Amino acid sequence: MRKDAFLKTVLAAAFVAFVLWGGLPLFRHRHHDVPIVKGPGVTAVRRLSEYSPGLKGTPGDTFIYVLQGREPGGKALLMGDTHSNEPEGMLSAIIVVENGIVEKGTLYVIPVFNNSGSRNTRPGDGYPLYFDVATDWGQRRFRFGNRDASPLDQWPDPDVYIHYPERQLLSYIDIRNTNRTWPGRANGPLMEKVTFGAMELMRREKIDLAIDVHGAETMFPVTNCIVAPESSVKIATLASLTVKAKEGFESHVERSPVGFRGLSHREIGDHGPALPFLLEAPIPFLDQPTGPKTTKLLLDGKDPFLLSLSKKKKLFVPYDESGWPLEKRVGQNLSVTLEIFRQFSKKAADRAIAVSGVPRYADLVKNGVGHFLADPAKTPAGGVVMN
Amino acid sequence: MTTQILVILAVMIAAYAAAKAAKLSVELGIFAAAVGGGLAGAFLKTPAIGELGRHLVEGSTTYLDVILVFFTATLFMTIVNESGGVDYVVRATLRAFGKMRLPALLVLMIIVLVPGALTGAGSVSLLVVGAPVALALGRLGVPKKRVAAILFIVAGLSAAAPPVNIWAMILCAGTAIPYVGFEFTLGIPVLFLGTFTILVLGWKKDTGTMSGNADLPLTTPGMTWWRVTIPFAVFFGMVVAYRIWPFSTPIFGLSLEFTVAGAAALLLSPKRIAFLTLARDTAKRLLPLLATMVAVGMLQQIMTATGVRGLLSFAVISTPLVLLFFLLPIIIPFSEGLLTYGGAAIIGIPLIWFLDSIGFHATVVIAGLSLLWPLGDGLPPTALIGRLSTMVSGYEGSYKDFLKATWLPWLAVTAVAMGMIIFSSKLAFLVRWSM
Repeated sequence: MRKDAFLKTVLAAAFVAFVLWGGLPLFRHRHHDVPIVKGPGVTAVRRLSEYSPGLKGTPGDTFIYVLQGREPGGKALLMGDTHSNEPEGMLSAIIVVENGIVEKGTLYVIPVFNNSGSRNTRPGDGYPLYFDVATDWGQRRFRFGNRDASPLDQWPDPDVYIHYPERQLLSYIDIRNTNRTWPGRANGPLMEKVTFGAMELMRREKIDLAIDVHGAETMFPVTNCIVAPESSVKIATLASLTVKAKEGFESHVERSPVGFRGLSHREIGDHGPALPFLLEAPIPFLDQPTGPKTTKLLLDGKDPFLLSLSKKKKLFVPYDESGWPLEKRVGQNLSVTLEIFRQFSKKAADRAIAVSGVPRYADLVKNGVGHFLADPAKTPAGGVVMN
Repeated sequence: MTTQILVILAVMIAAYAAAKAAKLSVELGIFAAAVGGGLAGAFLKTPAIGELGRHLVEGSTTYLDVILVFFTATLFMTIVNESGGVDYVVRATLRAFGKMRLPALLVLMIIVLVPGALTGAGSVSLLVVGAPVALALGRLGVPKKRVAAILFIVAGLSAAAPPVNIWAMILCAGTAIPYVGFEFTLGIPVLFLGTFTILVLGWKKDTGTMSGNADLPLTTPGMTWWRVTIPFAVFFGMVVAYRIWPFSTPIFGLSLEFTVAGAAALLLSPKRIAFLTLARDTAKRLLPLLATMVAVGMLQQIMTATGVRGLLSFAVISTPLVLLFFLLPIIIPFSEGLLTYGGAAIIGIPLIWFLDSIGFHATVVIAGLSLLWPLGDGLPPTALIGRLSTMVSGYEGSYKDFLKATWLPWLAVTAVAMGMIIFSSKLAFLVRWSM
């Protein structure tokens, strides 16, 4: 009897130790804040809950960086981290916040659109918790999150997600996916409140352009592209042709399907004034047939299995030994974003948006992402926002 | 890199084999494979040793939702059973249909199909209606082995049936294909295969097992129709209410819906039920199954972190098309047996992208594949639906014999599924009918 009790005690202690060993890093990841430096162009920092009060005090709330121009003009919204396992979106947005100066018009930037997802992990998928980007002054650390919000913040899931307002049936997991919950509801589940907040921002501030920055697998047909509905397709095509001619990289245009609901490129235009664009840069890390899911693969995008599949013509993007590194992905996103601004400004001169200080594709490929990231430690007090 | 990953895979297999040799349970075997693979991977820092604990703990939560549903659904049905509701239903069903074999079998098939079709989980079908249907089939003279086989195949089909098919939803979500056009594309093959299964396995009477009404279980005094139906009406009412009024009905989730239905069954029971003892016994009974889910999640996480999962996916995608068609009936069910829904993401998503790009009709291919995946729920190491089928039918013979009993419907499901995949473009009219 005594021996039995002793064995049970030892097993219970081992179990607690095991849970602490594995659980504490997950706890720390959830509470790890990422500093974002308010760059020279930032004129205000707001919260999404100002547009969707139901978000106040919840993990769904997030920061909006406002870069108001010297001259009036059009308005644009830039969103990163809609899917927090596609970090090229967040990094593109951070580079704009930390470097951009708006000459004309106003820019609203949300670097961590799905804050809950960025503090979540993806059980079963073996992701790293963080990744470090080498900069001119050292390493800068970022959280690596999940495609969906954390069940700790929005739970339970229904057995099937019924999209508002179209009633299309979607996978139950998509109720926590902020690229399926557009246009959202003020009193819906947390992630619908997030997308509702962004819709309200666009409606109240009269946003002209909304750009949602993502990454997509190399085996996914909708990758390396700009997804646009009918209303934005002309500007998207001009931007695509211009970056190919002037900067030498491909980013083709994909039409937003009318029958697939809940996505930003479909619902933003159908429910608000803005012209939506969704940018996809190829991210090999997310492909299924890859080697170990390491931060190295996340950063350099080099994988021998994908290389072999590329030779068998099973990928939807060109792929060679150089992989698809982070600087290329972020560079593409930034160049396409700037080109969309330029093309829109040409069409609507009274609503022009002019931004300076943001690097383009060639700058990123030459100098790396880290070169354009500020050092939070050397920023004066009040110049850093913890996200 | 391939050699490094193959070594890790070999260590995983060796750890599993060693655990089996030491007569450890399936779930401990899977846990050993996960730890072994993680330690082997740590030599190359994929993952680093300091990260191993985090990966194991994180992986253990992969199927937390499914575990909660299994527990709450089983508890609900155990309460219904304990209150005498199951015996009451079996007696009444046989009284109504006992002498009309064909309608009796078809009604029982539909009863199994409905809960799984509504929730996307064959386990829910088995946990909610599996026991009474098994008893009814027994009374119709179907031996327990064939009862378990019927439940396994039909519960699998219920999970694939529209409107909710989790495999198809995972594939649609991962491939950016709208989850529309599946009603006839899945509904017709599911009804055809369900009818085929119940007739092939249930038509022949085994007079030795068949018993007359005299042998039927006695009903608990005070048990009435409304006492049995209200808890089920509470459950299905909550499921259906969300479908009809999705924007004004609170989201309860299946676990809470089963819990509320269980509370209703407890309150309406004509006899007093010792709830805590019942809950403890249910947890004990389900422990091996739940532990398997925890361990499979850990294994899946380690397989991804070490690259083993990617290598398997790579092997499938690299296979020439004709050979792939021959291998799919094996690969798809085994991926489900090993990774449950993970198989759909790892193999299914790249496969759909590939087949779509060479002219196959993606929606029909997804429907075809989602008929194959449920077969894997009878295969080790997880064998979730297979084990549940034997559990609720009371079959205590060899698991291998139970699987053998499913061979003909298994072949029929495979033939229909492969036909749908290979001739997907010719079957595109099913999608058009559904729109």
